[in-house]
Amino acid sequence: MTQISDSAAWQSIGLGWQPSGQAVLSGALLELADRLDRCFVAMAGAWGAREFRFPAFVSAAELHRLDYFRSFPHLVTFPVCLDPDEPNLERFTGEPVTGGAVALTAIEPVREVLTPAACYHIYIHEQGRVFERAQHYTTRNTCFRRERYYAPLRRQWGFTMREIVCVGTLDEVKQFLATCRGQVEALLAATGVPVAWTAATDPFFQPARSAQYLAQRVNPTKTEAVFGDDLAIASVNLHQDHFGHTFDLSRDGAPSFSGCVAFGIERWLHAIVATHGFNPARWPSLARAAAPADQVASP
Amino acid sequence: MTGKCNADEARAELRGWVLSTAPGLAEDKLTDTTPLLEARLITSLHVPELLLLIERLRGRPIDLSALSAGDLKDLATICARFLE
Repeated sequence: MTQISDSAAWQSIGLGWQPSGQAVLSGALLELADRLDRCFVAMAGAWGAREFRFPAFVSAAELHRLDYFRSFPHLVTFPVCLDPDEPNLERFTGEPVTGGAVALTAIEPVREVLTPAACYHIYIHEQGRVFERAQHYTTRNTCFRRERYYAPLRRQWGFTMREIVCVGTLDEVKQFLATCRGQVEALLAATGVPVAWTAATDPFFQPARSAQYLAQRVNPTKTEAVFGDDLAIASVNLHQDHFGHTFDLSRDGAPSFSGCVAFGIERWLHAIVATHGFNPARWPSLARAAAPADQVASP
Repeated sequence: MTGKCNADEARAELRGWVLSTAPGLAEDKLTDTTPLLEARLITSLHVPELLLLIERLRGRPIDLSALSAGDLKDLATICARFLE
């Protein structure tokens, strides 16, 4: 299997790496990323999903309603601005960088978060809605998660996540997730990437104290497609009515249920190159998988 | 109640607790095999409280690292897994 340490070979196909934990894509690798995303969009299109392009920041107040900061404080990244007070800005300009780090003076209150998962925007944007039928969405965003270490394409501070979301009744969401898993398996077959599907939990802070973590342990709601030993390249997630309850999404007078399928695009790149090697001519074309698909029959 | 109680008492207390978390649930609709989480009689927020209750009823802690899928599926499973 190809090793990520073959840095010259990775550079030759278009991978650049910044030690901060962010990748630069170009050339064949960027083309592959775009082809993959077209496959995911085609998958979403089969559901008639509405596509959204959300901004990079998400409201901290809205995330707090999900108890996000207590659940994942170790992952969060904040956008920070200096307090615009002129003396403060003057103090900052005196020695703005020391030892390679920005020497912040007073900062403005932090009210936004760099998007940690693409689909949060959807529930926030749709809050208060009363639905009469299942709704499907898709969105892609650069997501940010602070980690203890980074590895190119496999574990990045900033990475690209595509998600397909269903908001509906429990039965509708379960059917959506089951069908999506079949769609993902078909795409995996087209890519030739071998995976094992395993039950998983989200990376909660102090998990033994987290009700949601304990619930995921005894009643798995997250299944991951794992490439190699530990690289989750896709996940299928049942949220129950967690988002519906928090953001007042309702159906027939009760909170809506939701579920999503998520893809880490850089991880797919790693899996495909690790499987097929550094010659782009050997990579799967994915032309058929990226073509518009027939609509999935709604229940 | 402190320390370990007998299986019948434990089952009755567990049953009462589930009914208290799902006030709209008729008593005769809660059997030993009624799915608790899947049927949304309890939610994720109830899980720590349920684990604490089980620990009290059995008189010893639960090894959280050994929890696995289905351990809290229904009253029968909880009794068999933790209380017998």
